[in-house]
Amino acid sequence: MEVNNTFGPIDIAISGLRAQGKQMEVISSNVANARTTDAGNGQPYRRLEAVFKTSDDDVGGVSLDRILVDRSEFPRIFDPANPEADEHGYVAMPNVNLPIEMMNLTVATRTYQANAAVLKRYQQMVETTLELLR
Amino acid sequence: MINLNANVNTVLPNINPQIPVSRNGNADAKKLDFDNTIKTIEKCISKVDELQQASDTSMKDLLAGKNEDIISVVSAVAKADMSFKLLVGIRNKLIEAYKQTMNMPL
Repeated sequence: MEVNNTFGPIDIAISGLRAQGKQMEVISSNVANARTTDAGNGQPYRRLEAVFKTSDDDVGGVSLDRILVDRSEFPRIFDPANPEADEHGYVAMPNVNLPIEMMNLTVATRTYQANAAVLKRYQQMVETTLELLR
Repeated sequence: MINLNANVNTVLPNINPQIPVSRNGNADAKKLDFDNTIKTIEKCISKVDELQQASDTSMKDLLAGKNEDIISVVSAVAKADMSFKLLVGIRNKLIEAYKQTMNMPL
């Protein structure tokens, strides 16, 4: 991306907004499936994590690179009454940790706000420049 | 762009000697310069118009339910707003210059 571009900051801030929107989507999927013991393959839901990338060595916006799965172990809880329980009475639960998701949600919200603030400030800057014409 | 150089002698040598140097020829050269300015402004206006149309269509699409991406609407509106403000600033300057010229005591 060109550095000397009037609309550059707008596009970059917008890409940040979009990326954080995606992040929010991933977090909501994790929270919604925090107790999904069967994700279709007989295994509990595996936590997802969004990975972002930028155009290398250049000024530019952020974009979603890929969504990775968390390979950590499933926590096992003792619940003999559950139809999904094994012979010892344990059920494998998704590896979603709600407090962590809440922290990620706060970070995503604040980053979204920061990008919106950049957009707003840039518009104010341009207006300040245009005041010089008067 | 606008030739504001009041010194006629700097313009005169550029005029082809076969054409008799007249006040008319001089005015033509100046008119061409102003034409260029007008053309540049026309280009600027059409660019601003493009951005306005883009913002309009994205807003219409959002309202019609074709597009659910608010962020792209925000981006289009921000760009259109910014370029339109610049255009208005330039227009105000041009009108001001015109008024100043017309009020010049002769």
